[in-house]
Amino acid sequence: MILTLNPKILHFSKSPLSRPSPRFYRSRTTSCKLQNPQDGKSITKTISLSDSAPPISEKTDGGGNGGGGGGGGGFLKRLPRKVLSVLSNLPLAITEMFTIAALMALGTVIEQGETPDFYFQKYPEDNPVLGFFTWRWIFTLGLDHMYSAPIFLGMLALLGASLMACTYTTQIPLVKVARRWSFMKSDEAIKKQDFADTLPRASVQDLGVILMGDGYEVFMKGPSLYAFKGLAGRFAPIGVHIAMILIMVGGTLSATGSFRGSVTVPQGLNFVMGDVLGPIGFLSVPTDSFNTEVHVNRFTMDYYDSGEVSQFHSDLSLRDLNGKEVLRKTISVNDPLRYGGVTIYQTDWSFSALQVTKDGEGPFNLAMAPIKINGDKKLYGTFLPVGDTNAPNVKGISMLARDLQSIVVYDLEGKFAGIRRPNSKLPIEIDGMKIVIEDAIGSTGLELKTDPGVPIVYAGFGALMLTTCISYLSHSQIWALQNGTTLVVGGRTNRAKNDFPDDMNRLLDQVPELIKTSVD
Amino acid sequence: MIFSILEHILTHISFSVVSIVLLIYFLTLLVNLDEIIGFFDSSDKGIVITFFGITGLLFTRWIYSGHFPLSNLYESLIFLSWAFAIIHIVSYLKKKNHLNAITAPSAIFIQGFATSGLLNNMPQSAILVPALQSQWLMMHVSMMILGYGALLCGSLLSIALLVITFRKVGSTFWKNNTKTKFLLNELFSFDVLYYINERNSILLQQNSNFSFSRNYYRYQLIEQLDYWSFRIISLGFIFLTVGILSGAVWANETWGSYWNWDPKETWAFITWTIFAIYLHIKTNRNARGINSAIVASLGFLLIWICYFGVNLLGIGLHSYGSFTSN
Repeated sequence: MILTLNPKILHFSKSPLSRPSPRFYRSRTTSCKLQNPQDGKSITKTISLSDSAPPISEKTDGGGNGGGGGGGGGFLKRLPRKVLSVLSNLPLAITEMFTIAALMALGTVIEQGETPDFYFQKYPEDNPVLGFFTWRWIFTLGLDHMYSAPIFLGMLALLGASLMACTYTTQIPLVKVARRWSFMKSDEAIKKQDFADTLPRASVQDLGVILMGDGYEVFMKGPSLYAFKGLAGRFAPIGVHIAMILIMVGGTLSATGSFRGSVTVPQGLNFVMGDVLGPIGFLSVPTDSFNTEVHVNRFTMDYYDSGEVSQFHSDLSLRDLNGKEVLRKTISVNDPLRYGGVTIYQTDWSFSALQVTKDGEGPFNLAMAPIKINGDKKLYGTFLPVGDTNAPNVKGISMLARDLQSIVVYDLEGKFAGIRRPNSKLPIEIDGMKIVIEDAIGSTGLELKTDPGVPIVYAGFGALMLTTCISYLSHSQIWALQNGTTLVVGGRTNRAKNDFPDDMNRLLDQVPELIKTSVD
Repeated sequence: MIFSILEHILTHISFSVVSIVLLIYFLTLLVNLDEIIGFFDSSDKGIVITFFGITGLLFTRWIYSGHFPLSNLYESLIFLSWAFAIIHIVSYLKKKNHLNAITAPSAIFIQGFATSGLLNNMPQSAILVPALQSQWLMMHVSMMILGYGALLCGSLLSIALLVITFRKVGSTFWKNNTKTKFLLNELFSFDVLYYINERNSILLQQNSNFSFSRNYYRYQLIEQLDYWSFRIISLGFIFLTVGILSGAVWANETWGSYWNWDPKETWAFITWTIFAIYLHIKTNRNARGINSAIVASLGFLLIWICYFGVNLLGIGLHSYGSFTSN
């Protein structure tokens, strides 16, 4: 029987329009506990709106987003309005989405970025795929680079235009309507709702308090009641559309204003950022940080016990024009370096050279050549000539390595001689020669990029995640009218339609039955 | 050693319990008796046991492999059946329903596939390639699999809706459509099972056999299916969105770009687009459930392409055969 009154209720009682009967506070018999409603909207403000608000028309009742075009702004001339109404057409938007999905699927089926010869052979004219599809289609429509093809980008742009048009002509007017609210003055209108019930001997004030306790915003005017909750669920689709537009804008900026480049640097050498970074689009403008020099201090690989690579590390130093070190960081996969808008990623590795000594001579630096590269199954090899290096069929010792960890050595005849680890100092003896593998020098594969679109895209991502979640909420509206001692209640919701009647019944069960039959 | 034994036991427990649950369904189909209702309720407890079994299994793997158990297809399949179990439990807690007629066969099918010989060397917990060593793994993959689970569940409900609707049409054109109907039944036998199941339970409750009430219940069932598939797909769509976006952020940390048009990314985006279309069709009040159901069943196919097809071909950045060698 504890009734906690929050400021909202006091506010509610002061409102000039609600005129609560004194009975409202004195003879209440419900035991519901009130919570502070989540949506913080000033009630007095909204109530003053109600006088001028026309009743919600049938046309704008439609759910969520999309739908046929509504009224645009008055300043627009006829043609743009027509374009808008065409663009905001839901079937058109669905067609666009289907087309984009189909094009993307096609882009994964057709090999991307191959040479023209490849397509001539794979899609020949005399034996078309599916009876009609030849290389001519591919080159006319640019399907060999689908995701930058005019047809694909054009569809995306069209979808973006549809998004904006739909937001402008359909969603925003819907918000205006949803913000207005109106009381229903007749039993019939209330009974027409998706959910309707008639409570004999019940008071509208009791219902108001119970609804408020369940998180509804409640407005009352004489015998009429209007309540809603989950209005954010009604607005969130707009947020989804705006977030999509943000992502598209950010993506465009990324595509036009980025620099990218990759470089393979042996340990101990350096490079200048600006030499590696190449512009992607016409908006790409280099910055001062492009003069920064990157020095690879050390490149190492971590291994699992099974011998597989677990991680790559590159110890990088950044030096400005004066040679002063401005930043030093060890990067690895998933842990890039960021400096002055440039991001340096660890993406690849290579075997640069092998340091060996022969009979105490040297050390010689033998360059390692890639023999077979198939994914991460890399194989590098080098050759140490023995005897007269000018002879036509020079013989020597071959060394092969899959990683920086162990080197396989073959003798002059090509027979397996042994495996040595660099730094082990353990010599291997071949035909009387003592070979010591001193060190294995790796190269780090770095990828550099600047991307001005990332902040916008990330903002879009955040907004999209948030608004998609909020969109799950249902916007529920309830009307009630006191008719003598009978209370007519009706309501509807836009998403959780099946749960709504249950929720309503649960709430209405709490409404106390009046014993005294005089209301107002 | 103890971990692998524990894992073995838990796998068998969850698999056999979910088999028993399925068996109970078949029994309720065959034997239309009142005492079976008790059995029917116990199947929900079965799903709860399965849920704990799989949870234990995942934790065991987590402890002994030292990383979040979502690094290969086997683990993701186990996680998917876990997702089905959790969808069932959550929706059951919210409102008593017979959703497990969809979730239980799905879970058993996925588990059976995961533990069968098809993926021979998969159950060994693999080492993590460098690109996967990130906190994002947990967020991205779990969200994606939860999304797949919810969307699969929702689109299965839509397929069930289609089957039931077509049955109605089929009975009027019985002679012409026998073959198509047969094919449909063959294809969606699980869902027919669902339908019959649902009808049986309703009939049991109502004890009425009039064709009028049958039609009424069929209509109600279609409404229910439509509603549940909408709600579950909406939920799955949220998971998919969060999954794709967290994947994009991760890619920006690892591969140097938030979007690479990698086949898996592209197919996830296609799936996302299709379910976005579904949700847009749903906003139209006058549209019948059947239109959106067709889109959802298309989405069902797309999820499988996205989930398996790309992996089987082993193309792109998501193959994990390579250290981003492109």
